[in-house]
Amino acid sequence: MSEVVALKSRRSGPKLRIGFLRLTDSAPAILAQEFGYFAEEGVDAELLEEPSWANIADKLAYGFLDAAVIVPPLAFAIELGLRGVSQKLIIPCNISLGGNTVTLSRQLAAQVRDLASRDGLSLPRALAACLAGRDAPLPLGIVHAYSTHNLLLRYWLATGGLEAGRDVRLSVVPPAHAALALQSGQIAGFCVGAPWGEIAARAGAGATIATSDDIWRNAPEKAFAVRARWAEENPEGLKGAVRALARAAQFCDAPENASYTGALLSRQKYLGVDSHAILSSLPGGAIHQDNLSCFWHCAATFPWRSHALWFLRQMARWDLIGGEVELGALAARVYRTDLYRAAVAPLGISVPLADSKTEGAHDTEWQLDAAPTPISMGPDRFCDRAVFDTARAPAAFLGRRALHALKDQKGPGQQNPKIGAQGPHGSGEGLIGMQPGAGHPRGR
Amino acid sequence: MPLTILLIDSDDSRARALEEKLSESGFAQVTRAQDPDLAAAVERARPDLVIIDMALPDRDALEDIRIVSAASPVVMFAGTDDPAFAREAIAAGVCSYNLSGVALQDLRPIMASAIALFQRYRHVETELAAAKALLEERRLIERAKAILMQGRKMTEPEAYRWLQKKAMNESRKLAQIVAEFVAEQEAVQRESKP
Repeated sequence: MSEVVALKSRRSGPKLRIGFLRLTDSAPAILAQEFGYFAEEGVDAELLEEPSWANIADKLAYGFLDAAVIVPPLAFAIELGLRGVSQKLIIPCNISLGGNTVTLSRQLAAQVRDLASRDGLSLPRALAACLAGRDAPLPLGIVHAYSTHNLLLRYWLATGGLEAGRDVRLSVVPPAHAALALQSGQIAGFCVGAPWGEIAARAGAGATIATSDDIWRNAPEKAFAVRARWAEENPEGLKGAVRALARAAQFCDAPENASYTGALLSRQKYLGVDSHAILSSLPGGAIHQDNLSCFWHCAATFPWRSHALWFLRQMARWDLIGGEVELGALAARVYRTDLYRAAVAPLGISVPLADSKTEGAHDTEWQLDAAPTPISMGPDRFCDRAVFDTARAPAAFLGRRALHALKDQKGPGQQNPKIGAQGPHGSGEGLIGMQPGAGHPRGR
Repeated sequence: MPLTILLIDSDDSRARALEEKLSESGFAQVTRAQDPDLAAAVERARPDLVIIDMALPDRDALEDIRIVSAASPVVMFAGTDDPAFAREAIAAGVCSYNLSGVALQDLRPIMASAIALFQRYRHVETELAAAKALLEERRLIERAKAILMQGRKMTEPEAYRWLQKKAMNESRKLAQIVAEFVAEQEAVQRESKP
């Protein structure tokens, strides 16, 4: 390990203050700092651990941070000024794929699993059946309104005919409090990023019922967002930062490095939790792994515009952004594939030729067109087998495709179980760019 | 009518001090929230303003209190042209949410008090953190020496010189070297145990 740890103490270059949360997928940023990759690439980086996404957002907005490891929907919310002051951001590289878990109280999880296997239902559908006849919506925790967790959980629930606000009540619970909130009955389940699902399971607080991969294989998770102004003022620094993160991503994804990465992340100044809980989602970190973060393989660091658009469409779907926002233009403004390509050119790694790809079309591994050589990609199937093709989606896509014509439908459980399963794919509007496997487009 | 304020702070004495200060002034009625379910606490108190310690992860829960107020809560001083005031608050580590649309000039003196108090406490905290870091460094040096003395049969001065030399060779601080060394050794020990 010593040859990796050896630092070149080059402390020049622009100052880059990077905010991160206590999450497993902060690993590349932490490693790039600890191994001196940032310094080697000419960036004087400082890592700042923040306790909340709200802090990350405010500190980016008011210039206390130059960059952050962030959930992409929050980056869009900051860019649009949806919470607090707006700040122009760019995303020159992605950080991770996967890593989230949906956890339910042990009793409910067992009930849902039993029903699913007995009646051959999908888990969301089984959950819907378990909730039939409940008076109040099921309280579930997410980490922030503008989080990947909110969007993935809503998507997954929707495939079972469950909608937030009607069948479940989503509230924000900080990941470190989620286990306690579950035990106290404040919530009946939650969707959080690694390692917090594993920590809750180890504490006996709940059982994992689904992971990011069960909702969307190789789903984009964290991204690296930089204040646009900083990026403009420090073009070389930006490229250096992207290279440092890409190099660290390669280290994090190598199974033989898992124990080192786990030990590093478990330190008090980073995650401050048991390294075994961290290892469970690090590539190569444990024998049995069902929730894995991916940092490098499958072009994980590439800022796919189709990922950006998927997030934006889902935000529009659930009314988190207004219909007046031009999603395509926003995605292109924030997700900077050009900057990624320019930054990693000296590394000689394969880089995707396209800026977007079809999401959800692959059940198995496939080869992505890239230069100089193709890149092996993992499956990207959605749980409802939908295919998200940005090329076929006109910019005028309206984005709204809520589950049911809300009030007219019967609640879950009392309903005909076929509703939503192969529901009519009817009115073309909701289908643009998205082939829903579940639910009806809202009548408009 | 005085404004109602909900105060959420990790530091008890600081919260008491701020509560006293604001209540004395007469323009604010302060409640302190200790409920883990913050949304519920906000719903009960229905405050005009929430003042919260930025060191708490609970801020994310507050972002979502649309469930109580019809409009989204206003974070800090969004929509005003006073970024300097907001920056001062962030630097002090305190943040506020305006829930009832009270005019900014009415909130200013309240937030100014909060900022001043947080600044004073921050100073004390920094000193405390420095003292703690020093203690932790000493503990780690002792631990690293013990590992070397046991594992490599070094004497105590030898072990200390070994660590110093390692720090010098890698041109890093001794504190960093011992922290890393201890973490690595402990990880190895954990793994070698079934």
